[in-house]
Amino acid sequence: MNRPLAPRVTRALLLTVFSALFVLYVAGPVAWLVSSSLQTEAQITEVPPNWLPPTPSIANFEAIFAASERVVTYENRRQGEALTSNFLPSGAANLLPAMRNSLVVGAWVAALNLLLSVTAAYAIAVIDFRGRRATLYVALATRVVPDIALVVPLFLVIRNLGLINSLGALVVTYLAITVPFTIFILISYFEGIPRDLYRAARIDGCGHGRALWHVYLPLSLPALVASLTFAFLTSWNEFVFALVLTQNVAAQTLPIIISGFIMDFTTSFSFVNAAGVIAIIPPVLMAVVFQRYIVSGLTAGAVKG
Amino acid sequence: MRLGYDERSAALLVAPVLGVLLVVAAFPIVYSFWVSLHDIVLTRPLRRPFVGFDNYLRIFDDARFWTAVSRTTVYTLVCVVATTLLAVLVALLLNEVFPGQRLLSALLLVPWATPSVVNGLMWKWIYDPTYGLLNGLLVQVGLLERYRVWLSDPDITLLLIANAAIWKQMPLAALLMIVTMKAIPEDLYRAARVDGANVWQRFVHVTLPALRPGLMLVLVYETMISIRHFDLFLIMTQGGPGDASLTLSWLIYVETFRSLRFGTGAAMSYILAITTFALSWAVIRFLGKRI
Repeated sequence: MNRPLAPRVTRALLLTVFSALFVLYVAGPVAWLVSSSLQTEAQITEVPPNWLPPTPSIANFEAIFAASERVVTYENRRQGEALTSNFLPSGAANLLPAMRNSLVVGAWVAALNLLLSVTAAYAIAVIDFRGRRATLYVALATRVVPDIALVVPLFLVIRNLGLINSLGALVVTYLAITVPFTIFILISYFEGIPRDLYRAARIDGCGHGRALWHVYLPLSLPALVASLTFAFLTSWNEFVFALVLTQNVAAQTLPIIISGFIMDFTTSFSFVNAAGVIAIIPPVLMAVVFQRYIVSGLTAGAVKG
Repeated sequence: MRLGYDERSAALLVAPVLGVLLVVAAFPIVYSFWVSLHDIVLTRPLRRPFVGFDNYLRIFDDARFWTAVSRTTVYTLVCVVATTLLAVLVALLLNEVFPGQRLLSALLLVPWATPSVVNGLMWKWIYDPTYGLLNGLLVQVGLLERYRVWLSDPDITLLLIANAAIWKQMPLAALLMIVTMKAIPEDLYRAARVDGANVWQRFVHVTLPALRPGLMLVLVYETMISIRHFDLFLIMTQGGPGDASLTLSWLIYVETFRSLRFGTGAAMSYILAITTFALSWAVIRFLGKRI
């Protein structure tokens, strides 16, 4: 279709303007965070601000990775003799262990979430049993309760079980957050798979286990990848439960340690910004790499309304 | 016998999930109600008398509670309306086919994947009164004469926090809108063009009605999410300045973990939970028919 020139130019112009605004809004804040993390404390405290690092350096990141080798005392903080000649927060050495905790919890949550959700979603979507709808609604209803409302009783329960400061308690808690939503996504995906395939498999003598394994799983790869990503990201980003259920470095996750830096107002801005960049990299990479799956997986249930 | 096998399998497959939800969701919800009927103060652990609904009555007499209700209402409304509008705009843009569209779609996932703690620290740094990007930018462009405080200004602090929240939750809403838009048959637009409808008329009469299911989902989801926001408040303002950003979630946190009054904290949690539940239900029931 060959339309006249004027509307096409207008369209191109509008698209360019709105694309520019979009990039500015979505990427601008993160770009500024990254830019700040590559500057020294002196550079980021200049007025007016340096939009780009005058002399890009990764000294802030080196300081984080070397933090465990340095003993931070009141004396050397006062002399400002940290690697970057900035102030390092006293908890700087906790950042890498916290990152490890975040990775461990995230991996467990992603794996267990998939295992639990796939089986439950298969049962609800495929098997005709009494209470299948009720099971789904009960699961979804638990997510309507705000986290902050759950955190108080959960804290009491887990404290009485003596499981404060255990990564396992975090994993189980996060499963309660991710599983209902994952089931919801997987059900709409499973229901889109032709019923005839299931019937054929059953006639061939497959039980539910083999029907799930050989028919449903291979056909729902996007939803499975989306579920994995969603669960890992939820776990990686979660803050309220981790704040209340962990009280020392053994179990604290990255968001907790970073929030500690933010509260400690002697911390150098450049250090906090670098820590923020480190926390952003894994989830953003994951999201961008699996973009195609996330979009089709996360939105599978939306169109039906 | 077939029926028996089906039911047994289903029970086996669903049981683990129900187990987890029972321990980590259902039981705490019930337990929380029991706590809310007792006067539990953690500084006096052995004294925990049953007080019935006294905690609830005490909350309704508490001026802080009503402040928090109004702050939460304003904050939630701003978040939901702005997120939805922005999401529709972004979806209209990304639904077009043009060079670079794929790159922009990938960028859209960046805020979604950003941890809320980092989101809070990032915007706090942008709003920083002396070194922040916002002052620097506005003054250099000439929109602002000299540097000013942002988060410490009680008139706008709630809006500034909302802005950070909107930045993070807009992408998912936009994705949902894009998917809904993609499902609109191209024929409808062709027919509208034949009838001489311009761009705006096509948007109002074809796109908007077809967006209904997506809009519903976004409205309910954003309401549920925004009303419970907590992370940003802890990172950015701690409820301040004064009580300018004292929302219900923050009040519950302070009451429970700073004042250690678990009884009233649990009662407040219950009020918030029931409100969220009722709101979601109401949005589904009433708006569902009207949009």
